[in-house]
Amino acid sequence: MPIIYQAAQIALLFALSISAAYALSRPIASLADWRPPGPRWVSAIDALPRRVLGPAYSRGMTWSDYLLALLALNGVVLALDFALLELQPALGGPRVPPDLALNIASSFVTNTDLQHYAGRMLTVTSQMLVITYTMFVAPASGLAASLAFMRGLARRSATIGNFYADFTRSAALLLALATASALLLVAMGVPQALSGGIGAVRLGPVASLESIKLLGNNGGGYYAANSASPLENPSGLSNFYESFLMLLLPLSVPLAFGRLAGMGRGATILGAMLGGAGLLIGLALLGGARAGVEPRLGAFDTLLFNSVSMATGTGATASGLAAMSPLAVSSFLMAMFLQSVPGAVGAGFMYMMVFVLITLFVAGLLVGKTPEIMGMKITPRDVKLAAATFLVHPLLILLPLVAAFAAGQAQHLLGPPGPLEFTEVLYEFTSAAANNGSSYLGALADSPFWNCATAAVMLAGRYVPIALMLALAGSFAGKERRSTPEPVETRGALFAALLLGTALLLAVLTFFPFLVLGPFSMG
Amino acid sequence: MAAGARLRWGQVIAESARRLSPLYLAANNPIMFVVEAGAVLLIALLAIPGAVAPGRAPLYAALAAILVVTAWFSTLSESISELQARARVDALRGLEREIIAHRISEGGGVADVRSSELRPGDRVRLSPGDFIPRDGFVVEGTALVDESMLTGESEPALRSRDDRVLGGTRVVSGSLVVEVTAEAGKGFVDRMIELVSSAKRPRTQSEVSLSLLLLVLSLVFLAVVGSLYFALYFMGYGPDVAMSVSLLVALMPTTIGGLLPAIGIAGVSRLAREGVIAKSGRAIEASGDTDVVILDKTGTVTEGNRRAVGFVPFGGYTEADVGMAAFIASIGDATKEGRSIVELAESMGYVPPSPLMEEALVARRIDFSAETRYSGVEFMWSRRPYGPRGVGRYSGPGEAIANELMELRERGEPARVIKGSVDVVLRMARPPDPRSAERAIEEVSSRGETPLLLAVNDRVVGMVVLKDRLKPGVREGLRELSEMGIRTLMITGDNPLTARAIAEEAGIWSVIARARPEDKLRAVEEQQSLGHVVGVVGDGTNDAPALARADVGLAMNSGTAAAKDAANMIDLESDPSNIIKVVKLGKQLLTTRGAITAFSIANDIAKYFTLLPMMLAPVDPAAAALNVMRLHSPTTAVLATMIFNAVIIPALIPLALRGTGFRPTSTRRMLVRNVLIFGLGGAALPFLAIKALDILITFLISAR
Repeated sequence: MPIIYQAAQIALLFALSISAAYALSRPIASLADWRPPGPRWVSAIDALPRRVLGPAYSRGMTWSDYLLALLALNGVVLALDFALLELQPALGGPRVPPDLALNIASSFVTNTDLQHYAGRMLTVTSQMLVITYTMFVAPASGLAASLAFMRGLARRSATIGNFYADFTRSAALLLALATASALLLVAMGVPQALSGGIGAVRLGPVASLESIKLLGNNGGGYYAANSASPLENPSGLSNFYESFLMLLLPLSVPLAFGRLAGMGRGATILGAMLGGAGLLIGLALLGGARAGVEPRLGAFDTLLFNSVSMATGTGATASGLAAMSPLAVSSFLMAMFLQSVPGAVGAGFMYMMVFVLITLFVAGLLVGKTPEIMGMKITPRDVKLAAATFLVHPLLILLPLVAAFAAGQAQHLLGPPGPLEFTEVLYEFTSAAANNGSSYLGALADSPFWNCATAAVMLAGRYVPIALMLALAGSFAGKERRSTPEPVETRGALFAALLLGTALLLAVLTFFPFLVLGPFSMG
Repeated sequence: MAAGARLRWGQVIAESARRLSPLYLAANNPIMFVVEAGAVLLIALLAIPGAVAPGRAPLYAALAAILVVTAWFSTLSESISELQARARVDALRGLEREIIAHRISEGGGVADVRSSELRPGDRVRLSPGDFIPRDGFVVEGTALVDESMLTGESEPALRSRDDRVLGGTRVVSGSLVVEVTAEAGKGFVDRMIELVSSAKRPRTQSEVSLSLLLLVLSLVFLAVVGSLYFALYFMGYGPDVAMSVSLLVALMPTTIGGLLPAIGIAGVSRLAREGVIAKSGRAIEASGDTDVVILDKTGTVTEGNRRAVGFVPFGGYTEADVGMAAFIASIGDATKEGRSIVELAESMGYVPPSPLMEEALVARRIDFSAETRYSGVEFMWSRRPYGPRGVGRYSGPGEAIANELMELRERGEPARVIKGSVDVVLRMARPPDPRSAERAIEEVSSRGETPLLLAVNDRVVGMVVLKDRLKPGVREGLRELSEMGIRTLMITGDNPLTARAIAEEAGIWSVIARARPEDKLRAVEEQQSLGHVVGVVGDGTNDAPALARADVGLAMNSGTAAAKDAANMIDLESDPSNIIKVVKLGKQLLTTRGAITAFSIANDIAKYFTLLPMMLAPVDPAAAALNVMRLHSPTTAVLATMIFNAVIIPALIPLALRGTGFRPTSTRRMLVRNVLIFGLGGAALPFLAIKALDILITFLISAR
């Protein structure tokens, strides 16, 4: 394919995603900025839960109440998923071992969608109730948390919103978007059925899963081949459209923040995200693919899909990772180290704001001002929370990595470790910690150690940062704000460049030796 | 003064060695504690037989030595800055106004004590010329007390039994016994010495934040290097402990970690060199954040000595007439203003003719008082005739006034020549042509000059134009402030016209004219409610609330105890325009921290490229490609990197102590400049320096 055509396709993809994200940012902002009475469509969503939950649905929550509500709801869904999977034999399906059930439940509730199972392991009921349903819960939780985070930054208040309301509204928004995009997927040839099959391949409610899988940056496929399967991703058009779906929400959250805190600010954060995403996609394309990509899609489409998927924390793949060049794998790893270019819906934005805090802190010192963000002083507590968020990620990747080798589990699974084996293990835990979900190992890792280890990493990788970020939101919500000019302006190309530079520098400094030891040495 | 403070190197070395104690480092500098722990680990391995591969022992020993030296460089920088600061601050002791008070003892005798030793209830005896040591009340005696340093009122006030008197004011005549009521504040210098001792020093918020960030970064690198060691081990790459410890120390932000205590202390110390005492580290940092500075006009922007610069006639009079009237009105006036009028008239030759001069010299003087607010002379015509036909008509410059006065004498009518401010004089006299006089007055005011009207009996004949000069250097200082984006507010009792003219001349952003003393506090609060960080200068007791309320309150040492207690900084040189220096210093302190942090982190890029390929190359051929600098061998590479890592600390001590070169400019320009210099520069420098060291070490090893 001529390079001009490729460039045009990328430009079109981003132009369309950014325009749609701009439009979508309005309803998201109106959720973040919701005050009674609020828009009519929100009232319509609220009608039922308000009747059921009463005042619990509308009272303002402190950051810790908000976190507890989020953990409680996610915990209930986790338990339900686990129970449904364990009960599968009673409903006529195959038995799911408890460690695998734990892994699946953790994987989907944390927006990771790491799959240590083959699709045929699950019944249609499980695919719908456990997988597709949880695929709404996870991004709706992430989006809700980011709404609370935006509020904490944008307005002074003792509370940061109500989680149940944020969650319900976010889920409703996702449901509307997913329904519309599922119909389009069906039109492009993705099946939606409750039974039947083509030869040995079972059909099922694929389109409904597919739409929320991409839209919610989930990533878990109906089939083991994920988006390499023609039933999930039939054509070049669907490939393009699915890439668009993955970008849509992650790009609209910073713009929604822009509607609350000044569009210049939102655009600057979006700019840094896009700069990072562009860099990583470019790197992946430069590296290219190896043998094993779907001939239907070709190397370019596959690489574009995969790198967009990694950049958005989705983890869906249009090919096996083994078909990717070492440079492309490095780019995917970098995307997961950063988690914020643009990252998954909600979470990516919050990770970027943590980098914003760190950047502002150092830049503030460089201009001789005690650091502040949007007129609020950055206190030692804020720095502590931001730095802890930054620290958690490498710890969650590196400690289990060492443990896997020390326990002999990596060697047991993969044989004597060389650069490729090291990369596979590094990738597994990075994907789990970043709640991405793509994996070299897949069903190969269906063993008690790997199931439990990755489940723990996924849960910690999801909820520890969310707890820290909600604490940050609470800290900012309580702050006095000044309306004087910012010492370091958080809008404009200069800040976008500094932000991206800081994020890249910190991620590279942390993970450089492992990139060298792994993909760089794979040859 | 303080610049003469010398550093005793013996003391510095001993102090820095003492601080190498692991206990001290663990509590004060965790990064250097890890460095030291690394050295201990290497030495322990050397001590265990067989733990170190044969032939590698010299490298282990060398690296352990370099690590100890790295930690020592850090404690050295801390000790240098601390002892230097202490010497400087100590040198300030003489300047802190400590006066000798004559305390009346129980038995009635008088003992001389230092004012800081006075307790409430003590009685002190005061004679003319004595400063009142502390606030109190008069128990006995009556005296005129000069309170101009507090109130700006030039007339001494009469104080007698039960009147309150204020510390810092001076007895002009008479004598008093005063009972002290105010508690002695802890000496300011003592407080500042606490600020420069690094163990006791309370850390500021941004310093705590930065330490936290550096600590987390170190933890990240600890996890990275630890995991790398095990990963290499499990992959069968046989990792080396010395290499891993070196990589960890190289990656940790040792440069900023080592210099952080020194930078904080140096801020206090540099203030001390400017003759400013800071009562808290927070105050120094807040001064860097200041974006509104409220200045008094008199004494800060202008010198406060108004001088006559011209005479303006009204109606049919000439300049000479007005000059002569001004001379007469000021003839016995000992104030600087009055003398400047006489001098100006003399220099222009507007001296009254001799008979009139003789009358003027014996005329009754009307002194300035706060109630009347004018001064001048009232002629007491002598009976002695001036010759057979009188003196006749005088002709020459000023003849109209001279002849008018002589005619009044002939007729024996009373004659008064007075000068005073516009509103006062206009209440007693009228100009011949009110409309044009008004225009002239306005014109003078709008130039920032002060008109002083002259009246002969009930007729205003003209005015003296007084001008206050800007203090030297104030315009440049104010321009720097505005370049840094700091707004200046001038507060003055002058009319808005005059105030605005002076503001324009000096480069002041805005004025608060016709201000009363309490307006200063209002201005501070108003600016703070708009979200500004406010700096204010003051010396009087009525400035104290504003000084206390402001984020940065700089009190003059010549001011009252109340003002000095309320402020968070004291300027021993009593130069109010020093606030400009204070703001610059505060910014510099933070910039230095930021610059060395950025530098320290940017350094890491190069260190990966020097150490990592060397650690991996023997087992991982692909990694050898990362040896982009073509370093000679693992041994030379690790030595070069670690020597660079150690030496950069003392190399940056001067920067830490002096602060980054600070040019007042917009924050955006400053950000770009510092990112380029310390970020990109910090990324590039180690590549060059380590390569150079590698060549040198290779040469030294091969020469052996």
